[in-house]
Amino acid sequence: MLVSAASLLLLVWVFPLLWAILVSLKSENEVLAYPPNLIFEPIAQNYKDALFGDFSIVPSLVTSTIVAVSTTFLTIVLAVPAAYAFARLRLPAKKTLGFYTLATQMVPPVGLVIPYFLILNRVNWLDTYQGMIIVYLTFSLPFAIWLMVSYMEDIPLEMEEAALLDKASRLQTLWHIIIPQVRGGIAVTVIFVFLNAWNEFLFAVQLGGNTVRPVTVAMYNFVSVEQTLWAKLAAAALIAMLPVVIIGIAAQKQIVKGLTVGAVKGGGRR
Amino acid sequence: MTAKGRVNLKNICKRFGSFVALDHIDLEIEPVEFFALLGPSGSGKTTTLRMIAGLDSPDEGVIEVDGVDVTHAPPGERDIAMVFQNYALYPHMTVRDNIAFPLKMDRVAAADIKRLVLQAAETVDIDHLLDRRPGQLSGGQQQRCALARAIIRQPKLFLLDEPLSNLDAQLRLQTRVELKKLQRSLNVTAIYVTHDQEEAMTLADRMAVFLDGAIMQIGTPEEVFNRPRTIQVAAFIGSPPMNLLPANLQGTTLTIEGRDFELSAAPPTQAESVIMGTRPSHVRIDPNGIPAQLYLSENLGESYLLNLYLGEHLVKVRVAEMLGVTDGDTVPISFDVNAIHLFDANTGLRIERG
Ligand SMILES: Nc1ncnc2c1ncn2[C@@H]1O[C@H](COP(=O)(O)OP(=O)(O)O)[C@@H](O)[C@H]1O
Ligand SMILES: [Mg+2]
Repeated sequence: MLVSAASLLLLVWVFPLLWAILVSLKSENEVLAYPPNLIFEPIAQNYKDALFGDFSIVPSLVTSTIVAVSTTFLTIVLAVPAAYAFARLRLPAKKTLGFYTLATQMVPPVGLVIPYFLILNRVNWLDTYQGMIIVYLTFSLPFAIWLMVSYMEDIPLEMEEAALLDKASRLQTLWHIIIPQVRGGIAVTVIFVFLNAWNEFLFAVQLGGNTVRPVTVAMYNFVSVEQTLWAKLAAAALIAMLPVVIIGIAAQKQIVKGLTVGAVKGGGRR
Repeated sequence: MTAKGRVNLKNICKRFGSFVALDHIDLEIEPVEFFALLGPSGSGKTTTLRMIAGLDSPDEGVIEVDGVDVTHAPPGERDIAMVFQNYALYPHMTVRDNIAFPLKMDRVAAADIKRLVLQAAETVDIDHLLDRRPGQLSGGQQQRCALARAIIRQPKLFLLDEPLSNLDAQLRLQTRVELKKLQRSLNVTAIYVTHDQEEAMTLADRMAVFLDGAIMQIGTPEEVFNRPRTIQVAAFIGSPPMNLLPANLQGTTLTIEGRDFELSAAPPTQAESVIMGTRPSHVRIDPNGIPAQLYLSENLGESYLLNLYLGEHLVKVRVAEMLGVTDGDTVPISFDVNAIHLFDANTGLRIERG
């Protein structure tokens, strides 16, 4: 019973992916053939076009990498010490951190696009890397801190006190005692933040554009007023999906753990 | 050179919110002494130890180590090592790295670290486990690892918070002996927190009895056992602790449950209302004694413990043999009045008899 339900869910979920794979191997004409041909000669041309054609997505893959990696790096560098402070110090804001985190996830992103646009416009950071990354940080930081806090609260206080008695400074304690014990949490955070930044479209298309054109936006070039190049779009999408899939497979265990840790313990709201 | 490791607590007060955890404590611990902080759970022992370590600071009062005021000095500057109740080993490091950690933080040269780690590990007999992680050690081995980490930098002061409480009974007895030997060989002041009076009695040179955030008595184990300073100490020390019965004192006449006993000399007190204390082994079964009701007898192996009701008061009596009495019987008991302890019922203080 459970197995068949799971299979059904999997089928629903995997259908678009299968469709994309099939389409990416067809010619543009074949894609539009009706009824669709299940038997056809697979071609690699779409992939070549997506990578090396007029609308090559390679530069935007580079852009996506820069944005996603920078966002992830900055998030970790800022979130780890911040989470440590939240987990250990008696801060007045501690209780509201969980609420604020949830709030950032609940506000419809569309509602934030315009304010962000106006702010970036004012400081002349529209279509710049720093503008894009800062906007992403406003989402990733609360989430990352909230997630890391729940990992850090698991470490007994005595462990740190022992380190302090052993003449370690606060920073040495963080570096030698805390961080090695929350490596799992850092891995989960890295994955979530990276994937979110990599997959993001709405803000990228509104606040970026020419200089900063991540792959999600670049793929949009295959959709134009006159026609949609479905096969090339599918090929590009599959290429862009590759890092996501690789990370997903490599870090399956961590991802599941990260999804449940907040749910089970209520994260930073404790 | 004067010995190091003298600790002075002067008028220490510690509150958590409105709760007074330590109420104006004074304590002086001599160099090289094995000093126990004994008291029931929640009496403020750990809090005291944490303030000596610098992990907490007092709201009032002064802490001195070797005459230097360290009340607000950070823990790292106090040259103090501590063994935590749950050991607080670093789970991601090997035993070797755990033991070496204090030296690394102290920037000791790598070659010296290697030698000292081995030496410390040999002292506590875990030199064959150096490459394991704490999670792969038994409770006793973890405890030794924590000890090794504490002794490696030859601290001025050695603090132990219930270090044996997580061990099973047999290992506890064995480790207790080793701990004492270790402290002697290191020649270091040790402050030892425990709620187990037997541990305190066997290990300590001197001890302080804590109750509800106050120190009831400071003294050698013998002093505390033989001359408890207050009713509370009397009710806590000994297993089982002494029997405490209300009595009336008129000159040399002590009246217990309506029966008069003659003391050899009048105790130096004006109090008439007193509490009489007597250890279970000092109560006799005596045909001419006061009748008491045997409620329950317990077989302790080497002796029996009789729980008797004398009026409404429970009296415990330790006897070598059951002498044919069974639960429910009436058993007459009597006290050796010249061996009893007397306390003023109003002040709770011991009445010292000449
Ligand atoms: N950080 C704290 N916050 C609030 N109350 C505390 C704190 N630490 C200890 N207490 C309280 O102070 C009292 C003494 O605690 P403690 O010194 O740990 O007792 P013990 O003698 O068992 O070691 C206890 O009632 C405990 O609940
Ligand atoms: Mg305690």
